[in-house]
Amino acid sequence: MLNVERIRADFPALARQVHGKPLVFLDSAASSQKPVQVLEAMDRIYRECYANVHRGIYAFSEEATLAYESARDKVASFINAPFREEVIFTRNTTEAINLVAYAWGRSHIRPGDRILLTQMEHHSNIVPWQLLAQEKGAELIYLPITDDGLLNLEQLDNLLDDRVKLVAFTLMSNVLGTINPAKEIIQKAHAVGAVVLVDAAQAVPHLPVDVQELDCDFLAFSGHKMCGPTGIGVLYGKEALLQEMPPFLGGGDMIRRVEWESATWNSLPWKFEAGTPAFVEGVGLGAAVDYLRGIGMEAIAAHERELTAYAMERLGSLPGLRIVGPPAHQRGGVVAFTFRDIHPHDLAHLLDLEGVAVRAGHHCAQPLHRRLGLTATVRASFYLYNTHQEVDRLVEALEQAAKALGR
Amino acid sequence: MSDFYREHILDHYAHPRNWGRLKNPDIVADSDDPSCGDQVHLELALDEGGRVSQVAFEGEGCMVSMASASIFTEYLRGKSLEDLERLTEEEVLALLDAPIPPSRRRCALAPLVALRAGLQAYRR
Repeated sequence: MLNVERIRADFPALARQVHGKPLVFLDSAASSQKPVQVLEAMDRIYRECYANVHRGIYAFSEEATLAYESARDKVASFINAPFREEVIFTRNTTEAINLVAYAWGRSHIRPGDRILLTQMEHHSNIVPWQLLAQEKGAELIYLPITDDGLLNLEQLDNLLDDRVKLVAFTLMSNVLGTINPAKEIIQKAHAVGAVVLVDAAQAVPHLPVDVQELDCDFLAFSGHKMCGPTGIGVLYGKEALLQEMPPFLGGGDMIRRVEWESATWNSLPWKFEAGTPAFVEGVGLGAAVDYLRGIGMEAIAAHERELTAYAMERLGSLPGLRIVGPPAHQRGGVVAFTFRDIHPHDLAHLLDLEGVAVRAGHHCAQPLHRRLGLTATVRASFYLYNTHQEVDRLVEALEQAAKALGR
Repeated sequence: MSDFYREHILDHYAHPRNWGRLKNPDIVADSDDPSCGDQVHLELALDEGGRVSQVAFEGEGCMVSMASASIFTEYLRGKSLEDLERLTEEEVLALLDAPIPPSRRRCALAPLVALRAGLQAYRR
């Protein structure tokens, strides 16, 4: 059991009042709040040893470099990457996926090749592949979902053949909450020779993730959803793949030697980190990893499972409330729903007036919403700092909203 | 809680004015907000002097966009094309007579977006 009261004391923003009511923050799937440990780690760099990293021959630069590169070690250990060189810092999940689509995709995808995605992907795991497929004359195919919001795995065997060169899927859906059977999908994809990218933007912040156990080729996630700052994300890639890939962005730091007409590349991971990196944010992400590990990912996942089950039970008891996605035991801490005939934007607005912060819209998954027959949903998402009382506040606010609108 | 959702907003949402289509519209316009699926379809007919003689709208969306569109259509009748060209966002928000937070401005301005698209097409 988590000591949630003690955890909440680490997050200054959670103590705020909104519209005269104590804040109930239920939008961590979009971006999480930050503990003081992360803020202080970044503040320390700016105050005590701020200087550009790599190659600075003086104490400040060496200290900043050490802090940044040790954050890479922390991240590598957190996801159990075999080598630190396999952890590339990017801006976020989106950039990490685009990096693979650009650098790996452009050199490996040929006309007629297939890229297999699923119907529950975030736009960031659809659009980069559309751009690649359009450029290369490749074809996108989608693994369908069931009406319960699970992947239709029976279809997987039919869709997988040697035309499929890449499989990209989310480990946990940002709308349905579904936690996908990643190991099984990866094994089957590898059996036909496909490379696999896992979108772990929702998974790494909330669940123990082990890239060696998954045996994925690429895995992408963002710092800002896991108590870290914005502007820093991670691409994990198997060393052999990263070695043979051409660079993504060109510029300083990613080169070994530059001639007038050509250049050679720096070694991993810096080959993919052109320009001054977000090293203060990198240090912040390292501090976030320390923070989450100090509490324990198993304990965090268990807390969220319990809270999600409670929320689904309470929400499910409201007449006219429809939850999308699978039952609690098959999902993480994300609950998207519609309520009577109230438009999700109106609902989110009324909840906000009660201090309850939720997200309303398509959550960057328009094709999925069309598949569900909806234009928009309201989404409540939970993290280590959320409580049962906050779920109760959500339910009360929904009841009040319905009353206010005479619905 | 219901401070924003004042009675006149609820009323326009439940009973939209000028709902439907015109027989011979001079200006036809659509606004599509991909972020929330709000859609406003606006039709205007002009008299010989170039003033709005008939207005109709249909749409689908949140209460703010639908109420705003309904209130907007009442305002448009009798206005000249020049009046419509000059219409500002702030004027449209003022018609609602309710506090609109920044996150809802796009909903409230959906009918203006439609009108501007329609005027542009009409001028061509």
